[in-house]
Amino acid sequence: MAFSVACQPNNLFFCFIGVLIGTLVGVLPGLGPVATISLLLPSTFQLTPVAALIMLAGIFYGAMYGGSTTSILVNIPGEAASVVTCLDGYQMARKGRAGPALGISAFGSFIAGTLSVIAIMLIAPPLANMALKFGPPEYFTLMFLGLTVVTYLASGSMVKALMMACVGIFLGTIGTDIISGLERFTYKSYTLMDGLGLVPVIMGLFGISEVLLNIDEQAAQRDIYETKISNLFPNRRDWRISIFPILRGSLIGFFLGILPGGGAVIASFGAYAFEKRISDHPEKFGSGAIEGVASPEAANNAASQGAFIPLLTLGIPANVVMAILLGALLIHGIKPGPLLMKQNPDVFWGVIGSMYIGNVMLLILNLPLIGVWVKILKIPYPILFPLILLFCLIGSYSLNNNVVEVMIMIFFGIVGFLMKKFGYEGAPLILAFVLSPLMENALRQSLIMSHGSFSIFFTRPIAVTFFVVALFLLVSPLIPGLKKRPKGGDIV
Amino acid sequence: MKKYNQISSLIWLFFAVYICIESLRLPLGSWRDPGAGFLPLGSGLCLGILSIVAYLQARFRKEDNVRESWYSKERWKSLPIILAVLFGYSLFLDTLGFLVSTFILLLMLFRFVGPQKWVVAVGGSALASIVSYVVFELWLRTQLPRGILGF
Repeated sequence: MAFSVACQPNNLFFCFIGVLIGTLVGVLPGLGPVATISLLLPSTFQLTPVAALIMLAGIFYGAMYGGSTTSILVNIPGEAASVVTCLDGYQMARKGRAGPALGISAFGSFIAGTLSVIAIMLIAPPLANMALKFGPPEYFTLMFLGLTVVTYLASGSMVKALMMACVGIFLGTIGTDIISGLERFTYKSYTLMDGLGLVPVIMGLFGISEVLLNIDEQAAQRDIYETKISNLFPNRRDWRISIFPILRGSLIGFFLGILPGGGAVIASFGAYAFEKRISDHPEKFGSGAIEGVASPEAANNAASQGAFIPLLTLGIPANVVMAILLGALLIHGIKPGPLLMKQNPDVFWGVIGSMYIGNVMLLILNLPLIGVWVKILKIPYPILFPLILLFCLIGSYSLNNNVVEVMIMIFFGIVGFLMKKFGYEGAPLILAFVLSPLMENALRQSLIMSHGSFSIFFTRPIAVTFFVVALFLLVSPLIPGLKKRPKGGDIV
Repeated sequence: MKKYNQISSLIWLFFAVYICIESLRLPLGSWRDPGAGFLPLGSGLCLGILSIVAYLQARFRKEDNVRESWYSKERWKSLPIILAVLFGYSLFLDTLGFLVSTFILLLMLFRFVGPQKWVVAVGGSALASIVSYVVFELWLRTQLPRGILGF
């Protein structure tokens, strides 16, 4: 079924558009997959849910491919998951081996993507069956755990990340209360009665704020390493060195991608650290070791696809991009979760099948078109930023043809800019914002079930497991010896 | 940074107080049946407590007292221009219509923030406005505002 849905001409076309746009935004520093998916979200409303999700998913994993190009050639990661590729990729380029670096990154991503799709096909159905046993208490504690992991892995202060999660939960409560019908924080605004729109908030926090930040810091100035890119196909020695790091990276990436709050960034760093630790020549890492490119590139691609498992089987987004995709599915009238496979098998299997096809497309796109991507890299930021702003404005307006939503987006753009300046991360806020209505519903249903007793969260085995893990993560920074927590950067 | 952390945590504390006050106007319900104000109040209280923790952390953290500005002193003027242009766009979009307001928006951004030469700014703005109109209005069928001029 997966391939029969994914191979329909319409779905193939939007898969191609998705991976093409994804590679493009991966290549262009300053416009990540989060901003792009939110920019293009309104334009998918006229598509079928399958085509829309295929395209948006293509943007996400396409960006993972494209991000490596800038890391290797410019030493600037196109998106956060390619940061670690800079370490050895750029050094390889400086030694005249840009071609093999780009080649192994594309092949590594392809192999990882393929293995991940197979793993999703094997793991998702039993997981969805298990999730059918979940009730409101299990869902509430799982979402609580997801939020806790995101704050735990935040790159900055955990307290600030928790604060942002609280703000996100509050923002999610704005609008009409679905149980009582009462208006909350709407101040008689018709726009706010339906709640704050996901698209204006995300576009503001990630799109507008990024432009403001780039202009303020002139971060987009870049020098492209001028070298003739040849021999994109790695030689036999390169393959011998890289194949096991690719397989290990795929495995690490996939499982870190599944974890709520995990993601491509943590996966790429984790895979790189692991390779360095087990290598016979760890001193070579950082000076152009090809396995230092192969492993993290495989890991970030595997993670980006593994993240679909909790979304499609449990209805829980593992990271911000998945949170946006959750929003997209809900807008299209589809509720992701354990019943998705039964109620909308075309959506579930269509997306899974399209990932494999998308990986083939990306391999074809990346290798022959590297020259084109390099030319695109040379577009000056002063030309690019007005167009990014224009996309944001059109995107937020076209949602409901409402200028108030444009103003909301600009407001969140300013908020996002200040948040970045003062070290507050957007990821926990967005994840909490998306989960807030679901969490509130699950919490209220749980308390109704238990006649007001919170013991319901501690007497059911699955719920108490999630709760204990979340609690452990929350208090672990206070425990001596466990103070050092892994830093995940932007959990995207 | 220490000072900025203190200020920002105080701003969040005020915001938390606002959330709590406004939440108390809503029915809180009971444990058995939580009301509409239950979760907002909970998030406000948690935000307030965390803001105090963040303030105290910043207050007692040993940091060098180097005073660094949080904005670029050379480039800060671009930011108010961008924001003014964006707010202006949202105010006049319905009146002027998509094509005219987008042309003006891009012209301002290209010319005064870019900054590009007039020829590039005018040409680029016209081209980008028309292309975006064709893509979004004619191809994707997005209903863009026509304004008093009818396009």
